[in-house]
Amino acid sequence: MTADSYATAAGLVERSASAYISGIPDNPADDGFFGPASITWRVSGGLISPVAGLRSLILQALHPLAMAGVDQHSGWKQDPVGRLAATSAYVSTVTFGDRATAERAAAVVRRIHEHVTGTDTVTGRRYAAGDPALLLWVHAALVESDLAVRSLLATPLTPADGDRYVAEMVVAATLVGVPRAMVPAAAAELDSYICSVRPELQCTPAAKESMAYLLDPPGLDEDIADIWQDVRDAAITCLPDWAREMYGYHAPEPLTPARRTEIRQALGILDAAFLGEPGVLEARQRITARMRAAQSA
Amino acid sequence: MRRLPALVTAGLSVAAAVAAAALVRRRIGPLRSERGIAALRLAARGGVRYAGSAPRLFAAAGEKREQLRSDLALQTAEDVTATLGDMKGVLMKIGQLASYIDDGLSPTVRRTLSRLQDSVPPMSSELAAGVLAEELGQPPEQVFARWDPEPIAAASIGQVHRAMTRDGRAVAVKVQYPGIAETIAADLGNVSLLRRMLRLAAPSQDVDALISELRERVSEELDYRREARNQRLLAAYYDGHPTIHVPGVISELSARRVVTSELADGARFAELASWSQRERDLAAETIYRFVFRSLYEVRAFNGDPHPGNYLFHGDGRVTFLDYGLVKHFAPDELQPLMQMARFLCVERDPEGFRRSLEQAGFLQPEAPLSTEMIVDHLGVFYDTIREPGPRTITEQYASAVVRRFFDLRSPVSQHMRVPSTYVILQRINLGLFGVLGQLSATADWRAIAEEIWPFVQGPPSTPIGEAEAAWRARQLPGRRPVTVHARR
Repeated sequence: MTADSYATAAGLVERSASAYISGIPDNPADDGFFGPASITWRVSGGLISPVAGLRSLILQALHPLAMAGVDQHSGWKQDPVGRLAATSAYVSTVTFGDRATAERAAAVVRRIHEHVTGTDTVTGRRYAAGDPALLLWVHAALVESDLAVRSLLATPLTPADGDRYVAEMVVAATLVGVPRAMVPAAAAELDSYICSVRPELQCTPAAKESMAYLLDPPGLDEDIADIWQDVRDAAITCLPDWAREMYGYHAPEPLTPARRTEIRQALGILDAAFLGEPGVLEARQRITARMRAAQSA
Repeated sequence: MRRLPALVTAGLSVAAAVAAAALVRRRIGPLRSERGIAALRLAARGGVRYAGSAPRLFAAAGEKREQLRSDLALQTAEDVTATLGDMKGVLMKIGQLASYIDDGLSPTVRRTLSRLQDSVPPMSSELAAGVLAEELGQPPEQVFARWDPEPIAAASIGQVHRAMTRDGRAVAVKVQYPGIAETIAADLGNVSLLRRMLRLAAPSQDVDALISELRERVSEELDYRREARNQRLLAAYYDGHPTIHVPGVISELSARRVVTSELADGARFAELASWSQRERDLAAETIYRFVFRSLYEVRAFNGDPHPGNYLFHGDGRVTFLDYGLVKHFAPDELQPLMQMARFLCVERDPEGFRRSLEQAGFLQPEAPLSTEMIVDHLGVFYDTIREPGPRTITEQYASAVVRRFFDLRSPVSQHMRVPSTYVILQRINLGLFGVLGQLSATADWRAIAEEIWPFVQGPPSTPIGEAEAAWRARQLPGRRPVTVHARR
């Protein structure tokens, strides 16, 4: 399998935008699992989201069984952008949707996972997408990436808010089928969990190839591709050293204040393009208005 | 693109506008169908276009944002930075300009860029009051006899409040977002991304010089005092004019981030569509007179073609708002423009026309082109004034004029360029003909032009012309023409 067999990444911005909007309700029955006063809402959907998302994918792919499941089942290569959009739509729904909608979406994901089983060709191990251990890894990589990227490229959460965020996100893991007791509920727990999984991690050919695709997606317009270089470099910069070394990525340019500003400017441009997609501004305004109302209440 | 280097040496910020126009067409045009990508492309190319838009940093009231979302109001200077930092403020300016500067944008891309403007919520009343207090030394309730804490309109980097002065005048007070100057300056302070984009977009340009020019323009434009000066100048010139009204500035209530001017009320451009064609023709006539009287007599051109900057009062009376972008011409810059009109339309001397074009720098000397070709190519700009008699300005005509200005395809274009000083005249095409086209305005434009042309000084040709002549007769001797020296 070569990178040539992947479909192009055209439509990345448009489809990410539709995915985001699809999760944000007009008339929610309730505030969902997080709600407008949550840290989760505060940190979701900001400028740094593309970097946090990419960083979490890079980490997630290091679990050979998680990677094998994606590689062998999900239609990833035929429609990588669609696959990413589906994940974004799910995350958006669970974050902003009302409880019933989030639960329905989670049930769909659990049902899909039931059929995703097989053998990883690298390790020879059997896997099942519904395996709580795999799901937890995916969850942890996502949550930790949000924190790590935020602390480097945005205003970091206070330690207390960081803990609150990790605790809030526990429910997201339980929705896809991880027993609550397994899920780290504070930042330190999250870090030690990630450390504990490291011995299992491996940069398989599938991981390397998938990430090579994501870091330099073919078919992007020249200008998106230009901005994407910053997203990619930022994601690699924000990786832990060990993960970067496993992939053999070059040590990044140091994150000087000037470089940080440059990255944020590039992300600002990307965000402006995202905002230009139909419905994105309205969706954001719905969320902001609800957060404001919660604040003043 | 091949003509860029010469333009750059001539005048950086305006050169960038030309580059931008070329880029927009070259790069955006073919991708019109790919909406999102085209939007990003546009945004990513923003650095170049921003240079062109910088003079326009204070845009018109955001007409599209009729319903100000007070529930989303910006509460603190940090909110301002979060909303307009990270290039968003910079891009917003680009978006505003892009919608003026080029015809090659699809409506979707225009909408996309205007979204950025829509995405900026108003300031909370406390935040706006805080800025005003910092600028004028006292909170608004003490500065003014009455102060409406709810903004009545959005301005691109500020908002407009209604108030009443202690001596009983109703005023509009434009208040700038706190921290916006610093935020935009910070984005321009870290120029590596801009530099990269500019290198991609225009490799032959002196990128660093362009960026420093850009910074200078921005700091200039972030100072409302400059705008106030321009508005005072035009208000003084048009004082007593029968149909042109420029709201006066209340200088003692204006400062760097606050500008207070006489409150004007009237019908918006959109409402004009439902008025009779006669009313629309009269309004168009006044707009036409305003543009060319200002140009020929004050040697100033209000470069803001936004239809939202006009308020209509019926019988051809129009109030002109927003003086954030006023270009002042030196006499020797204006002279060739008059010569061109004179030779082509009055003397009917094509060779003289050609010589004027060469003198102004529009046309290469000794270009291997027949004069007939040149007249054919450029005559479109003079279509409405070459012959006497009523003519209707259609939208088709307006867009043909706009396209022709930066047309790079014609063989004539190979030997032409737009000197930096005159790039802003594209805004006449967009702001004047664009608006007149939307009104389907009919008048004897030639006769009106003859009234205004200093080399003809024709007799009044319309009732407004009669009233204008009376107004001019009342002007004190020696007051006309106003001598203007653009000051910073």
